[in-house]
Amino acid sequence: MHIPDGFIAPVVYLPAYAVASGAWVYAARRLRTILDERTLPFLAVMTATAFVLMMVAIPLPGGTTVHAAGIGLLAVLFGVWTTFLSVSLVLVLQALLLGAGGITALPVNALAMGLAGAAAARLAFAGLRGWDERAALFAAGALSVLVPALLIAVALGIQPLVAHAPDGTPRFFPFGLSVTLPAVLIPHLVVAVGEGVLTASAYRYLAALGGPRAA
Amino acid sequence: MIRLSGIRHDFPDGPRVLEDVSCAIEPGEKVLLLGANGSGKSTLLRVLSGLVTPSAGEYRYRGSPVSPAALRDRGFGRLFRREVVLLFQHPDTMIFNPSVYEEIAFGPRQLGLTDIDRRVTRWAEVFGLTEHLERPPFALSGGEKQKVCLAALLVLEPEVLLLDEPTAHLDPRSVGWLVDFLFDLKVTLVVATQNLSLAPELGERALVLGEDHRLIYDGDLAALLRDQPRLIAANLVHTHRHRHGALEHRHFHTHDWD
Amino acid sequence: MRPESRAGLERAALVLYLAAVVALTSVHDSQVLAAALGLVLILAGRQALALMRRVLVSVGPFCALVSASYAVMMAPAGRFSADYLILVNLRVAALTALTLLVVQRIKLARALGFSRGLLFVVTLATSQALTLRRVVEDYRLALKSRTLVRLGLRDRYRHSAASAARLLSKALHQSGEIALAMRARGFFDDDAPR
Repeated sequence: MHIPDGFIAPVVYLPAYAVASGAWVYAARRLRTILDERTLPFLAVMTATAFVLMMVAIPLPGGTTVHAAGIGLLAVLFGVWTTFLSVSLVLVLQALLLGAGGITALPVNALAMGLAGAAAARLAFAGLRGWDERAALFAAGALSVLVPALLIAVALGIQPLVAHAPDGTPRFFPFGLSVTLPAVLIPHLVVAVGEGVLTASAYRYLAALGGPRAA
Repeated sequence: MIRLSGIRHDFPDGPRVLEDVSCAIEPGEKVLLLGANGSGKSTLLRVLSGLVTPSAGEYRYRGSPVSPAALRDRGFGRLFRREVVLLFQHPDTMIFNPSVYEEIAFGPRQLGLTDIDRRVTRWAEVFGLTEHLERPPFALSGGEKQKVCLAALLVLEPEVLLLDEPTAHLDPRSVGWLVDFLFDLKVTLVVATQNLSLAPELGERALVLGEDHRLIYDGDLAALLRDQPRLIAANLVHTHRHRHGALEHRHFHTHDWD
Repeated sequence: MRPESRAGLERAALVLYLAAVVALTSVHDSQVLAAALGLVLILAGRQALALMRRVLVSVGPFCALVSASYAVMMAPAGRFSADYLILVNLRVAALTALTLLVVQRIKLARALGFSRGLLFVVTLATSQALTLRRVVEDYRLALKSRTLVRLGLRDRYRHSAASAARLLSKALHQSGEIALAMRARGFFDDDAPR
């Protein structure tokens, strides 16, 4: 979600940067050991792909569309840490190339979408795969949307709690959890279904292309 | 049938790709669209198929203007897309259905036709795809994929067939097959190609886009092939040193790009 | 100015920028924020107007939505604070304007110079993204060329799924090719011993 700078307090984004940086360093080290000299081009192309996957449309009833994220698919195919790095880099690219700003929201988005979203997708896939692969893929896609949505709703919703003037008026995002949770989660439910379907279908097409299978 | 007047197009990020292009194409003509890379051939084909709206100029199909507004009209949109079809340069760009059958049936299904099965099997037979009908198109070879695309386009029984460099990625046998197939086909044909030696096999009229993105020739193909200065100006032929044993010389010529 | 000095200067500017971001989110005085916004616009010079336009386009909708919702929800309950609305919108404007200005002025290459690997990845990712974007656009055009009537959900999903799959497949292939080309040019040979 593109949250402009100024809606998240330092008491949230500074620790988020600390955690995210640690996670980035860890992820980079892990990737290096697995992939050797192919790591850098692979990561670059994965980042480009993640960037462009966000252009793929999730069709919604009524002719409208919403943008996919592809995080579930990437996580299932390439694992949590690759996805985390790629998504983080995409967020950086979006900020720099599209002038989409949001430097304070970046660690929150990176952790929510790239780490939590990817991890939830992997866990769901691993858990359900033995029972039914399609359901597992659907769950991976759906959770890769819902879990980040939940985390971002929480990150926004606690702003009035953690940063306010002595008289209680907010200083950053003004709405509490009772507003942000339904406001963010409900629309994302529809998107989650779409992303789940897309993840399952795309995986099958990829198989027909002779593409990679889930690790 | 097709009339372009003063078509000019600029890419969104600036560069001009077509300059003052005007021509008319009558039903049944077989036209070669020639030009070096970057001269604007693909863009012109996309203008002709209503995918790109030119920055300036007018495009009329059967007398009616072709514009985003016109295409939004259900009647005209449906008519135009059925009658004017485009084969993209890379067949992969067009293929997205789970099986060859579905890929070919995609168009007829939209029209709500009742004899879809008959049409699909007939066209699959024409292209020798019958044994592949239940397979995913991605699993086929390059030449076969292109046949799937052609089948999917021709099953609509279009009036105008636009082909973007159809032989660029084909093996020689498939090229031979394609030439024969197009020869017998009763449609208005516009083929964009860089392959000068193949051109005479495909049509009689030539439209040449120069490197300045203008139409620098519109006429008989055979006459063009004899006009060396014009071919050189359009960057359609090249020159390099030729070695024949101990003798070395240099002259303009073409190679078979395939 | 020597390139190394320029790089040092830009790195300092970057650190200053980051400090400014933290400062702007730690100050809760509208006047200070307004002054900061003014300073950014002065620094932007002749491009100040274009910069403000970009700020409006970028964050306008979100801010408008939040502000309007805030007014609608809080006013009836008597908890509306105009000071808050002014504060938060000024803060967003100042931060966004500052970031846009910095992004415009500081060369990415020098900013990411602290890690050769990171710079490489971002550069390559950018160029690949532009290429792949055209590919996805072609897929969309191809569908448009074959669409005679409004397509149903099933067809549109098939197309999106196939686009995602083709994109991934192509990207992987390209990644392999790039790695080979890099190896052929000795990119991996001069890795310093660790």
